[in-house]
Amino acid sequence: MTFGSGAMTNSIDEIGQAQVILVSGSNTTEAHPQVARRIYDAVDRGAKLIVIDPRRTRLARHAHLHLRLRPGTDIPLLNAMMRCILDENLVDDLFIEMRTENYFALRDMLLQVDPGQAAAVAGVAESDIRLAARMYARAQRSVICYCLGVTQHICGTGNVRSYANLAMLTGHVEQEFTGVDPLRGQNNVQGACDMGALPVVLTGYQSVTDPVALGKFARAWGVELSNRPGLTVLDMTHGEQIRAMLVMGENPVLSDPRQDHVIATLKGLDFLAVADIFLSETAALADVVFPVATFAEKSGTVTSSERRVQLMHQAIKPVGAARPDGQVIMALSERLGYPMRYDSEAEVMEEICLLTPIYGGIYHDRLDPGWGLQWPCVDRSHGSTQYLHKYAFARGRGRFEPAKHVAPAEAADEHYPFVLMTGRVYHHYHTGSMTRRSLSLMRECGRSLVEMHPDDGRRLGIGPGDPVRLTSRHGSCSFNADLTPRVETGYLYANFHFPESPVNVLIGDASDPIARIPEFKICAVQVERETA
Amino acid sequence: MMMNKNLVMNKDYLVPLLRKLAKTHRLVAPVRNEYGDTLFTIITDLDRTEIDLDHQPQASLKPYFFPQTDTLCRYVIDCDPATGAMDYSFHVQLPQNRPTVYVGVRSCDMFAVMYTDMVFLHEHERDVYYKQRRDNAIFITIACNTPFDNCFCNATRSGPFLESGFDLQLTDLGDRWFVETGRARGAGLTEDWACFFRPADEADKRAQFQAELEARGRFKQLVHVDLASKLLAEDKVPESIFRDLSSRCQDCGGCAFICPTCTCFNITDQPRDEAGGERVRSWDACTFSGFTAMAGGHNSVDVETGRIRRRFLHKLQYDVDRHGRPSCVGCGRCVGMCFGGVDMIRFISMISEAGENGAEAGE
Repeated sequence: MTFGSGAMTNSIDEIGQAQVILVSGSNTTEAHPQVARRIYDAVDRGAKLIVIDPRRTRLARHAHLHLRLRPGTDIPLLNAMMRCILDENLVDDLFIEMRTENYFALRDMLLQVDPGQAAAVAGVAESDIRLAARMYARAQRSVICYCLGVTQHICGTGNVRSYANLAMLTGHVEQEFTGVDPLRGQNNVQGACDMGALPVVLTGYQSVTDPVALGKFARAWGVELSNRPGLTVLDMTHGEQIRAMLVMGENPVLSDPRQDHVIATLKGLDFLAVADIFLSETAALADVVFPVATFAEKSGTVTSSERRVQLMHQAIKPVGAARPDGQVIMALSERLGYPMRYDSEAEVMEEICLLTPIYGGIYHDRLDPGWGLQWPCVDRSHGSTQYLHKYAFARGRGRFEPAKHVAPAEAADEHYPFVLMTGRVYHHYHTGSMTRRSLSLMRECGRSLVEMHPDDGRRLGIGPGDPVRLTSRHGSCSFNADLTPRVETGYLYANFHFPESPVNVLIGDASDPIARIPEFKICAVQVERETA
Repeated sequence: MMMNKNLVMNKDYLVPLLRKLAKTHRLVAPVRNEYGDTLFTIITDLDRTEIDLDHQPQASLKPYFFPQTDTLCRYVIDCDPATGAMDYSFHVQLPQNRPTVYVGVRSCDMFAVMYTDMVFLHEHERDVYYKQRRDNAIFITIACNTPFDNCFCNATRSGPFLESGFDLQLTDLGDRWFVETGRARGAGLTEDWACFFRPADEADKRAQFQAELEARGRFKQLVHVDLASKLLAEDKVPESIFRDLSSRCQDCGGCAFICPTCTCFNITDQPRDEAGGERVRSWDACTFSGFTAMAGGHNSVDVETGRIRRRFLHKLQYDVDRHGRPSCVGCGRCVGMCFGGVDMIRFISMISEAGENGAEAGE
């Protein structure tokens, strides 16, 4: 939207060479240890680290500056930073002139920002915001890494645009060692997005409304294709627009907000099929379950956060009746009257190359052996692309998109005095369908804890490990208390890994109007000690 | 006792010798895979495998004697239908003994095997699973003419050349290997296949001595291991060092898993079906909070600040007390493994520096 593509502009290795690293809404050491490793390397070499996070994460403890903002106030914080950059003439005029558009809209908006007021909204000292602005803007090689703490808000799109604005304002993009790096989750989230697992695009971010792209796919597949954007996950799992569903490797019963709505929706379907490696909570509701192969039992490619397409080789034969996902899709398609006959994963990849410009030269034989290729890679003569937007943004000029503060949908009040943030913990992965089967991981972290400041614990008579019940405007759920100063008083942090504490029953279905991402990071709750 | 013999082998003869040995033994040697990783690998086809003696294998030999997960026994649950009483019966699963030649083993890794022998084969307390894998092993080691970037085996006195422990120790003399025989089995091997060897002459011995001398000057790391043990024994290590390093530890256990001498394990029962399951031993790490957590959830160690203490004290103090030497063999693998930089070199450098400053302040 602002740069023209959704991926890390840098490679992970470049982060180690940055001079200033701004990490926002990312518990990097726990969620992306291999990125954190480069951040430690950079800091050991003398780089400055700025962390923007309501929690005092491990990385925040190592930061030169920790801006402990109130959740959901990234936009006023960044606008104040940018105002300071403007006031102190740290703007990269040449970059703005040559590579961007719509700058005056941003500048006019920034001139109306009162940094003191914005600092008060964000709950951060104005002097710290100025310090951060100077640190970030004055270095030649500044990198922004952000994660779900930025996106999982009703203003998620505005947040992301604000970070892009900040980078463009100071010319910190399109070079080695400096850029904007959203950190992706699973080993293949990037690949799924690249392959069009989004409502508005075909593969490689080609719009479904683009008649040329659509025509190309229609010719290749021999069918007419709809030019209407699809539904977002939230629309699919909340409501009655869908009658039948095939869920692959996802567990919306635990991962989506308003568990009661999700279950009602899934139960109301005419037909639900689930493909997963274990019988997940979602699979338990299915009419048909396909046992599918794990990563070790199939071949194919995955695309990592740094746009790197890597080939995986089958190590063992699928156990039991499991089949690779691709074969499940092909068999289903055949039964539905559209035979798909791919003899190998390489043949599927050839079709991807044919139809996806950014993957145009990523053939299997080029990926093996070695560490793969980073897109864009347009044809066989094209090598790996280490960093994006060299010479020009993917969309031509980078577009400034000014954003204004949006109050969270779920503010605390006298009935729901605490603000709960949700996220992940180091030892578990998403809905725990894999990690909860590991005895060692369960020994390290075997129950669902909610982080609470010790002062709040004392005030409410809650001791370490005590059972507590959280109640939001939408539901109620039990945890054990973890009293820690990682969270400030008035704030709580819980994870969604444990089916016995399905934290998403608490989360409302308010979401970002563009990306439709739920407000997982802010939920007003009340807390009471449970009597056993 | 048999005297160590000094021999010379033409470099071309290594593979032919291994081919002979492979008739009766399994071969394990460092092999570089297509991703550029050198790993100890079981060699099934000598002609299609290139042994890589130029890089340090990423992992030590530890998994060959003490696998990451190891089934100790199967258990069967018998339920008496009349009384409902449950009864367990255990059926020991001993691993197969496979006579194996380990080739291209660096001094540190050879030394580590000798150390783990002390742990698992101590007098009468012998670990049968370890022993079963360890018996009938032959080690053809390779002395390090050029230590790798993170190596400090000179400081732990476990290299770069060994005096004993190996069956054969090879030293690279350019066009030929200088061969020293250590244990009796190694000497026997050179007698069985005498055609590949010739006695070393004075020039060979001088060249070997020269290589050994030069190797000692090639270490890039200066690590004061003995000083570290002394400072720890005298309780002169500032608490802040443990705290700082602990805060960078991410609880991944990588240091213990990659360490050739870390031998902590956990035992768990893993049900396979209604009627029984397996009792499995798996690697554990003292940096895990679960390592000291008690059933009620209490932890005797404040893991946030103390998890690193266990590891370094064990390596550099407790093992010095018990075995007379630290259990670190200076292989440097933890340096490459730890993403937080919580490694042996950093720890020792930090405490040596603090010790020096403390000494100066005291004067």
